[in-house]
Amino acid sequence: MSDREAADFLATVPLLEGWAEADLAALARVLRRRTVREGEVLWRQGDAAREALFVVDGAVSISLQLPADRTVEIGRAGPGQLLGEIALLDGQGHTMSVHVAETATVLALGRLDFADLLAGRHPAAFVLKRRLAALLTGRLRDQLRYLAGSLGGGPPAPPGRDAASSLADLEPCPPPDSRYVRRMATFHDFDPLALWGFLTSGAYVRCPPGRTLVAEGTPSAAYCLTINGAVEKVLVRGDRRIRVGLAGPGKAFGYESLIDGGPSPLAAVSRERAVLLVIPHDVFDQLYRREDAVGRVFVDAIQRDLLVTVRQTLRPYARLASSV
Amino acid sequence: MRRYDRRMCRILAYLGEPLPVRSLLFDTDNSLVRQSYSPRMMNTFLNLAGFGMKAWDPTSLRPDDPFTYRATTLPSFDRNLRFLASKLAPTCLVAHVRGVTYSGEAVVADTNLHPFQFTGTRVALAHNGHLRQFAGMRYSLVEHVEPALAARIEGTTDSEWIYALVLSQLDDPYGVPETRELADATANALRILRRVRAAHGIDTSSPVNLCVSTGRALVATRFSFDYGWYPREDEMLETDLPFVSLWYAIGGEYAVRDDAWRMTAGEPPRSVIIASEPLTTDSSTWLEVPEYSMLTAELVPGGLEFETRDLDV
Repeated sequence: MSDREAADFLATVPLLEGWAEADLAALARVLRRRTVREGEVLWRQGDAAREALFVVDGAVSISLQLPADRTVEIGRAGPGQLLGEIALLDGQGHTMSVHVAETATVLALGRLDFADLLAGRHPAAFVLKRRLAALLTGRLRDQLRYLAGSLGGGPPAPPGRDAASSLADLEPCPPPDSRYVRRMATFHDFDPLALWGFLTSGAYVRCPPGRTLVAEGTPSAAYCLTINGAVEKVLVRGDRRIRVGLAGPGKAFGYESLIDGGPSPLAAVSRERAVLLVIPHDVFDQLYRREDAVGRVFVDAIQRDLLVTVRQTLRPYARLASSV
Repeated sequence: MRRYDRRMCRILAYLGEPLPVRSLLFDTDNSLVRQSYSPRMMNTFLNLAGFGMKAWDPTSLRPDDPFTYRATTLPSFDRNLRFLASKLAPTCLVAHVRGVTYSGEAVVADTNLHPFQFTGTRVALAHNGHLRQFAGMRYSLVEHVEPALAARIEGTTDSEWIYALVLSQLDDPYGVPETRELADATANALRILRRVRAAHGIDTSSPVNLCVSTGRALVATRFSFDYGWYPREDEMLETDLPFVSLWYAIGGEYAVRDDAWRMTAGEPPRSVIIASEPLTTDSSTWLEVPEYSMLTAELVPGGLEFETRDLDV
């Protein structure tokens, strides 16, 4: 495959849609083409990430290793899809194992080149960050669909009160001490001024325990960031209730449907009394599309949260699968 | 500035097929002893204030009495522990490495080492966590603890009081409780702590990860009071922000397979390990205990009964 053919292929990749020809050609030059044979293991769950892969043709199988030597296939990926980006983004091991299901051609993007793509301050880097957030949201939805499927039963009926009114009822409170917020791992290494720009974009509220803040299957009214306390992210199917994750200090919830316009894939219920930063939908849209330091911090914070949530979502799946 | 005495330790419990203690304490690349000086899930804190274990071996003399070992020396340099760990193959183990605040006020002493087990009782307990402002609430616990048990408290830790509180919730603190009774006693002890904290206006994060055992059964909690709330002047926030970790591996037996330590398949399961951190850097065969949960495990003919439930106290 020539650089030109690689660039033509990249133009068809949804993640890179709208990229300028010159940018695609530059990306094509740093990609390494490989043919991988049926049965070949591309990486195992937990392996350190060295590269992300664009699948050009063929198919790969994605599977989750479970305790007691068991494996379950979670899905397959084919032409145009990206693999391995989660571990490259958060620096931890691969979340799942990948092997070749049908002999395939892949284009490999090394760790440093991947980081370069995202590090720029040009508009394309902002667009790519937002697309990656959408991609991760899609991955999260896929995993939650699998999890819900393994629980059986239908989703809960929509609540009588919508999420907007549930948030509007909460008691306003002053913002937290900035030194406290900066200690949260979510915000490490962020520019303090830009971080403060993001943290002063919404309203701070107190929330009692047991309050449903986001209902599964309905659009979310706001991005919510836990400052104090804890909020459970839960899936309910029939009489089974699974806690998928816990949004403690520095963790967010309610943003998935704001990113992709779909219904909320999870319910969010306060477990402890909490202080929350609530950024309404319209302000979220403005922050999310800003292409300056504040927008960068905001999208990076969302990306960090999504990466944690995607990994958290695998935990109950493994527990359920191992208890069957 | 007001100081808070925080203890962030590491705990380990095992129940199942006879297993050399060294497999759990020394042999793996993130063994409990390694977690004393190089914990993977605590970036800024080490556990250097001593080691303790209780190990039940049904083939030993008086099998209901566990082997007991406690020392304030660093377990990685403790040859006696290493020799013992190579000889013992119990069916149940509770072990603990203790971490205390780096402060001249911390008391490093044999009497503060976990697991706690008062003479004549059949239940042992180890704790990973700390009750903030414990000094202010300690004496309000007296009314909830059997006087004979309160009199046996020797050390200065909140953990020993939690132990006495759990024992006091049993019908017979000196008997061997059924697993359900032990689980209920543990939950009741947490309810009492919540009430006492409320009465004293204590409303900041206090993790209470417990391993409680009779040698035949295990009860473990991954729990925190008021998670996510911290005193304004807290200096060591990073250790508290994440929910204190607890993991488990369940299956047939813990053994080396393909050059790696792992829990083998087993249906029904015959062995379970519960630990603050996976005992191997490859955590793919380990499961994270859900936050606010209680695990119970009991040896029964043919295997192990195991259950996870939400802990709403």
